[in-house]
This record gives sequence, structure tokens and C-alpha cells, in this order.
Amino acid sequence: MSLKSYWEQTVAFVELELRRLWHDPTEVFTRAVQPILWLTVFGTTMERLRSIPTANVDYLTFISPGVVLQSSSFIALAYGIMLVWERESGILKKLVSSPVDRFIIVLGRSLAGAVRAVTQLFIVLPVALLFGAKLKIDPLSLTFATLALLIGSVGFTSLSIILAVFMKTRERFMGILQAIVMPLFFTSNALYPIEIMPAPLQAFAKVNPMTYIISSLRDTLIYGDIVSAINGLLVTLVFSSIVLLLATRYLQKIVE
Amino acid sequence: MSERKDEKYAIYVENLIKVYSGGLKALDGVSLEVNEGEIHAVVGPNGAGKTTLMRILTTQIQPTSGHARVLGYDVRSESGAVRKLISYVPQEFSVWTDITGYENLLFYSKIYGIPSDKRHSIISDALELMGLSEASGRLVRTYSGGMIRRLEIAAALMVKPRVIFLDEPTIGLDPRAREVVWEKLLEYQKEYRVTVLFNTHYMDEAERYAEKVTFLNRGRVIAQGTPQELVRLLGGETLKVWIEGESERASQILSSIDGIQVLSATSNQLVILTPDSSVMLPKIVQALSKSGIEVRSTTVSRPTLEDVFIKLTGMSIEEAEKASGLREVRAVRRAIRAGG
Repeated sequence: MSLKSYWEQTVAFVELELRRLWHDPTEVFTRAVQPILWLTVFGTTMERLRSIPTANVDYLTFISPGVVLQSSSFIALAYGIMLVWERESGILKKLVSSPVDRFIIVLGRSLAGAVRAVTQLFIVLPVALLFGAKLKIDPLSLTFATLALLIGSVGFTSLSIILAVFMKTRERFMGILQAIVMPLFFTSNALYPIEIMPAPLQAFAKVNPMTYIISSLRDTLIYGDIVSAINGLLVTLVFSSIVLLLATRYLQKIVE
Repeated sequence: MSERKDEKYAIYVENLIKVYSGGLKALDGVSLEVNEGEIHAVVGPNGAGKTTLMRILTTQIQPTSGHARVLGYDVRSESGAVRKLISYVPQEFSVWTDITGYENLLFYSKIYGIPSDKRHSIISDALELMGLSEASGRLVRTYSGGMIRRLEIAAALMVKPRVIFLDEPTIGLDPRAREVVWEKLLEYQKEYRVTVLFNTHYMDEAERYAEKVTFLNRGRVIAQGTPQELVRLLGGETLKVWIEGESERASQILSSIDGIQVLSATSNQLVILTPDSSVMLPKIVQALSKSGIEVRSTTVSRPTLEDVFIKLTGMSIEEAEKASGLREVRAVRRAIRAGG
């Protein structure tokens, strides 16, 4: 197998996802409801209180990157439900008996889930702008933010694939999903700077991958500081790579 | 160097054992040989080990012991080479229902590395062969069960495999849809002489379409051969006798007649194996009416594979499934899913 064919197979998974989105884009919009509420209700209210120190930016602007990620990570982490279904159907069985390398199956599916997740950037950002968030929207920062969100979402989709190994039903999966997304969100720097959190939470926030993805998005979209954003991106890349490799090991278990 | 025995066959299985992690023994020393270009049926009740065997041959799971080769490649150590030469249609649906039929084939064509300049014509040909050209632009969720099955077979044939594995290819389809699926499949098989291994618990399907049949029961091969050879194992003819109730008693009465064997006795029908019906029929009718059991009608036919299975196991496929119990079948399914 050449690198070219690995690439073509990976792209085929992403294309498949785009075609599915094209035929039924409902999820993209329904998932955007919650983050929009965070911005328009929570964000605008807290903005008036001015109780959270957000340095030189207003609160709505401050939380916009985190809210985008919350929405994206939910889609990415929910992607495993599809695998629970595909295990029951014959799709996964067919895929693992095809010439595709198992790593490519996981990478392809993770990228596909990530593409679905990244759609949130393009829905939530305009809403944030509409409500007065001061974000730097230029081709470079938008490209970088998309890349950071994509890499982070690959990690969350892979994590979701691992969850699918252990959660045999959709109901259990949904339950565990809520129990993961919200704690990750609240123990990250999404809604407040890490510095104002109690010490134990700060320690947790520092190993929470969301923190680094949000930092990267914030550096890019608020401060236009791509160089600083690269730090967060590198940590995200390490997180996503590790989870991706773990998911490849676990894929065999799902199939069996 | 002389050709090794196990490289001569499209599929060569020797003493294959699979014990799932829960301790369930799904395969208990299965051996099997399939020639290139042959259509081979593995027949048996649910829980017999058919799906486990197929999942090992398609490199999804590994056997506990024994060995299996597909086109000379070991399914364990050379699984990558095996996967390039085979196609597989699982028992469950294996296409995405939220995209169109064409898009499903487009995805698989990319996965299998069909060059981009040939994709469209190959997909169109496969869709046409399976009678799906008109429906190709529709979302698969609007297809009937038979159409979905044909789409899955189109996906499997499109990649020009040398061996195709079909797990219960017509399960859940009505008789007409079953026939269409086979008609299309045979058309392709004739043209390309691809080797076909299929699992089924429909005896008539094995009898009509398979060149060779392997009977599997409780993880073991109980008979192997062409349908004709298997039927010859029985010898004689099958006599069906419809009576007025009391089939148990009737069966007992007939057991005293030499040379015949009651294969099955349901509420009002007896299936009897006899070397020569013209001699035995009058004796049977006489014995029954003497005991006050009225014979309503009789038919004579040559034995079927179903009769062979009954003779070998003492029960029909349905009875074997009932005997092993739904619980056991479920346990096998669970074990297959849980792995080991």
C-alpha cells in the first residue's frame, strides 16, 4: 500500500461523512442551539455582572471560543454512537474484512467525526459576532482556528470510539457522554480563567485537553497571536495522536 | 517444488477450533476444502458455528487452534493478503442507509482502490447487473430488503474478488426476492468463475445453487459432498403420509415394519424413508388402518437435503434450533460480539 492510497482511503471516509451531512444536516443545527444559549443568555447576562476577570476583553468575547469547542466536542464525543450502531449492523464487519488498514479506519472515522464537529465553528462564531463578540475574523486566524478545532475533535472522536467499546447500548453511551462533556467543559478555561479556580481544579484544568484547544482558539480568534496559539496546538496534537493510537488498538475489540 | 495441498484450494480449513472467551466452543475441529470456482454452501441451524467460521475466514477474528487458508494465504499470518482477494457480505445490513446506493458503492470503490477513471463505469455496471440502475440515486433507506441485499452484493462483486463470502445472503427476504438475488449472483459467478462460500439455513437454497454442501451442527462437520452425493447417502425415496392426528402413535406402529425409517412425525404428517415405495406403501397404509389411523394422502419424492440432515442429526433444522434452545443461540451471538 502506498501513502497515496492511505490518503485516498482516509479522504473517502471524510467524503462519506460530508455526503451524509449533505443529505441530513439536522444535527449541525440542533447541536448549535445549546452553545447559542450559552452565548446569548449566559454570556450576555454575565457580561453585565462583570464578576469574572477576563483581562482586557469583554465576557461574551472571552467565552466564545470555549462555547464553540463545547458544541464541537459534544458532536465528536457522540460520534461513537454511530459505531455502536455499526457494530450491531454489518458495516464494521465489512470494513475490517476489506483491505483498509485498521489504523486508517480509525483515522478516517475520527477525521470524519471531526469534520462534522468543526461545522459548529461556522455557526456559533457568526452568532457570537452578531451579539457583539469582538473576534478577529481573517483568513489566517480562521484557517488556524479550524485546524486547531479539527485536530482537537479528532482526539475527541477517537476517545468516543474507545467509549463505544465499553458502552454496548446507545442509552448507556448517551449517559456517559453527559458525564464526560460537562465536567470537561466546567474544568477547563472555557468560562473563566484557570487562575481563579481552586487549586485542585486548576491542576485538573491543566491536564484537560479542552484547556489547550480553547487557549489555541482564544489566542487566534481574540488576540490574533498565532505564535502563542501554536503552543496549545502542539499539546492538542499530542493528545489527539495518543488517543488515536489507543482507539486503533481498541477497534479490534469492537469488531470481535 | 511440488504444490502444497492447502495451496491447491480456494479455501482450505483444517481442524479449526474456536473457543470464545466465555468458554463457548463455537467450532470444534472443522475441516473443509473448497475448489476454485466452486459454489459451496455451509448449512446448519442457528448456533452451528457458520458465522464464526466465516468470520475467521474473512480475517475478522482469529481461531483458537487449527489452520485456515484462503487462496493459499494463511488467514492469521497473511490476513492482509487475504483481504485483498476476498469480498464479504455479512448477515446484517452493511450499507449506509442515509446516503444513496451509488454513493455507497462510490465509497467502497475508493476503499478498495479502484482507479478514479474506472470508478464510474465499474459502479454503473455493478448497479445494472443487480438491477439497481434506476434506484441508484435514491437514499438507501427507501430501498426494500431485497434491494439492499442486491446493493450489498453489488458492492462485493464490484471489486472483482476471487472468493466471495456470503453470510445468509437471503435471510429475511420473500421467495421472489430470494430468487432475484440468486439469479443475479449466478449470472456473475458464471462469467467470472469466482469462488462462492455461503452460509444458509435454507436447505432448498443449498440444494438448488450449491455445487458442494457442508453440513455443520454444533460446531462440527457432520457431512460433506455434492447435494446428489449427500442425498445418495440416504438411498431410496421419501414418502410423505398425511394422517388424521396421532402421529406419535403412527410413528411407533411403523417402526415395527422392516426396511423403513420414520424421519419425522409432525401433527398430521409423517416423513418416511423407504428403499422402494411401491412395495412399502401398501404395507404402511395397511398397518396404519389396522390400528384405526386413517391415511388421507401420500406423496413420493426423492429425498431432499432436509431429509439427509434429519437422518444425520435425528431432527430437522428447526428442531435442532429449538433443541439447542434460543438461549444457546443467543449465547453464541453474544460471544461472537464480545469476542475472545
